[in-house]
Amino acid sequence: MNAEAQLDTRELSYAEAIREAMAIALAEDERVVLMGEDIGVYGGAFQVTGDLVERFGPDRVIDTPISELGGVGVAVGAALTGLRPIFEFQFSDFATLAMEQIVNQAAKLRFMLGGAVSVPVVMRFPAGSGTGAAAQHSQSLEAWFGHVPGLKVVQPATPEDAKGLLLGALDDPDPVMIFEHKILYKMRGQVPAGRYTTPIGKAAVRRSGGDITIVATSIMVHKALEAAETLAGAGIEAEVIDLRTVRPMDRETVLASVRKTGRLLCVYEGVKTLGIGAEVSAMVVESDAFDFLDAPVLRLGGAEAPIPYNPDLERAVVPQVEGIIEAATGLVRARV
Amino acid sequence: MPVEVIMPKVDMDMAAGTIATWHVAPGDRVEKGAPLFDIETDKAAMEVEAPADGVLHHPVPEGTEVPIGAPVAWLYAEGEAVGAPQGVEPRELVAEHGTEIPLAPATGGHVPEIVSDALVGGRTSETMAVENAAADTGHLPGPEDVFRRNLDALTASRGVESLAELAALAGLPNLGALAEPRFLPDVARALGVDTAALTDPTLAPRPRATPRARALARAASLDLRTVGGSGPRRRIQAADVEAATRARAQAPPPAARSPRDGALAVTRSLGGTGTPVVLLHGFASDATSWAPLEKVLNGAPLVRMELPGHGKSAPLDVDDFAGLAGLVRRTFVDLGLDRAHVVGHSLGGALALALADTRPRSVESVTLIAPAGLGPQINGEVLAGLCRAQRVESLAPWLRELVADDAQITEGYARAAMASRADPALRAAQQRLADALFPDGVQAFDLRAALSRLDLPARIIWGRRDKIIPWHHALSAQGDVALHLFDDLGHLPHIEAAEKVGNLLRRFL
Repeated sequence: MNAEAQLDTRELSYAEAIREAMAIALAEDERVVLMGEDIGVYGGAFQVTGDLVERFGPDRVIDTPISELGGVGVAVGAALTGLRPIFEFQFSDFATLAMEQIVNQAAKLRFMLGGAVSVPVVMRFPAGSGTGAAAQHSQSLEAWFGHVPGLKVVQPATPEDAKGLLLGALDDPDPVMIFEHKILYKMRGQVPAGRYTTPIGKAAVRRSGGDITIVATSIMVHKALEAAETLAGAGIEAEVIDLRTVRPMDRETVLASVRKTGRLLCVYEGVKTLGIGAEVSAMVVESDAFDFLDAPVLRLGGAEAPIPYNPDLERAVVPQVEGIIEAATGLVRARV
Repeated sequence: MPVEVIMPKVDMDMAAGTIATWHVAPGDRVEKGAPLFDIETDKAAMEVEAPADGVLHHPVPEGTEVPIGAPVAWLYAEGEAVGAPQGVEPRELVAEHGTEIPLAPATGGHVPEIVSDALVGGRTSETMAVENAAADTGHLPGPEDVFRRNLDALTASRGVESLAELAALAGLPNLGALAEPRFLPDVARALGVDTAALTDPTLAPRPRATPRARALARAASLDLRTVGGSGPRRRIQAADVEAATRARAQAPPPAARSPRDGALAVTRSLGGTGTPVVLLHGFASDATSWAPLEKVLNGAPLVRMELPGHGKSAPLDVDDFAGLAGLVRRTFVDLGLDRAHVVGHSLGGALALALADTRPRSVESVTLIAPAGLGPQINGEVLAGLCRAQRVESLAPWLRELVADDAQITEGYARAAMASRADPALRAAQQRLADALFPDGVQAFDLRAALSRLDLPARIIWGRRDKIIPWHHALSAQGDVALHLFDDLGHLPHIEAAEKVGNLLRRFL
């Protein structure tokens, strides 16, 4: 955040903060266009674009046909020709339909053309479970894209970061994928007015503590913070790191914290196996911070199952506050 | 039958006590009544005496909490086979951190299997020889696999090339003797560890420990095998290492000792590098007597200890030589020195020898200047005269008896000596000490056995014109003790010829 933006903050919802970021970009930069299914008069599947089509017109806020592959293909082409498109998916699950354009085109072209071009496209993905939308509309697929060189992957956890990371993504010359948690859209928080950017590749320490490092992403940051309050009552001070960017990962913030606490718990909603926590764990044990570990590294991730429709089961397959408290306590009390 | 040493009840509402310090190393002899170990309870720290004569085995590690009445060690007769004592089942004790540690190693009788993956290349045949010997002798000092694994790992970690080299270092007759219980203390000594390090299964060669615990132990030069683990499956946590490091830094806490426990006055020279030199003065003397020698020894860090009722040490009553040696040993342990050269004069020489005998791992070399303890004769008249004298005029004649050349005892020297003995309480305390140690003008203690079993660099320096203790006592020394005899010196070579004695010492420092 830059200095002048600190002068004025108001409370906005996460969705409003994203809309404000897009409005600023549309107003400031005529190269910016919004694309996506039902983002115009309908206002977007989660009402994030809202009234932007009325304010900036259908040439800037473009409804695309019901083809993610086609829509992202147009966005990638537009980026190559000098525009700054923001493509909204209705659900992050539908990224599967646009894989060719995201992974084989957007991520690769800069490298394949020897740096002669870049693809400054921003893609927004409503992600995560908790809405009763079941297996095909509730996934957390960010780790998939974190595996692809050429892509940047961010997961804002607060309204402030939702706006700042979107504006930061527009400043980036390469494709940036923003995974927005659907449950967070209504979350309210202080958001600075005007233009500011949140740096991509920089994690945030949301709570300081000396006993255990909890690295969390997206909505899990809030669950970890809630767990940390309970843990503090039991004399355990957890340091909660909001990773914010999955790729490139903020190595130094995580390592510095682990060197301090000697214990690491990774909490993320995506499927546990081969997920973000595996990468964070490996990054730590491959580094000098290994020598500071006083307990095994633990991961809390999504169950090895599709997200169920049944609300109780839906809750059971992703990490919850109680599970975080239990895992952290076990680590600090040397039970594992 | 070994004598069981139990945790005594020293205080009404005491349920358990913590072993703070052992005054006797495993495998060392202890006499009945000599200080054996210190315990700490919630309220107090106190010393426990040996209940019988014997050789100490299987002591519970320092820092362990033991319930009242539970055994903490066994005293064996000299030469008695060491195993788990008859009728005593190996049992589990609750250690301070709440995990269990087995107390006594079980006796083994069968030929152990070879664990080839625990062996470094080329060691297998050696290990087999050890095992075969073990089969012959019937038992090993602990569970065979524990002993073998610990032996192997310790040998490797101490930079000893092979088991054969270890056997040589330990002074064993052959390789197979490594597995013989009676040589266990020798093997442990050669490795620089306690015997428990070889027999205690909890002291596994590579203990389970977290990376942080390992890093902390490395930084503190702490052997993880000496640290109890509080984590799952006894994994050593950082907190365990920190506690062990703290305990080492504080142990034994000097502030916790009452004067009755008897720390002796200690002064140290400023600066200096290298292994410290501990100086023990003689009867009716004090630390200032080292001043002439110190001028020659400049550079080495010096630690001067003063005997009870001498110099700045309180006039503690001791019953006999063992009691006095215990005070010196405890003060030495409190110094926390890893290694030290020990130099003693006369009575201090006897104490230096006793210290080297009971703390061999901490003593780099021992220098005995006109030492007591190597024969019965001593000039009781001079001792009595020194104690009696209340004026310079009555002291000077006795002082002149100490040296070969009367002229060395100037009036200034005699006046200074009398000034340091002006306190009647000090003189009375010295008289009592003389009565206890030299009754009827006879040395009531004999350290010739200690001298003969000494296995570290030792030298005796004596003047042939000594009128206090006959110099020919030196001839009781074995051939590996260096003798430096001076024709023209008396009982105070380090004062009469400080430069000569200093030059001799400097060869070893």
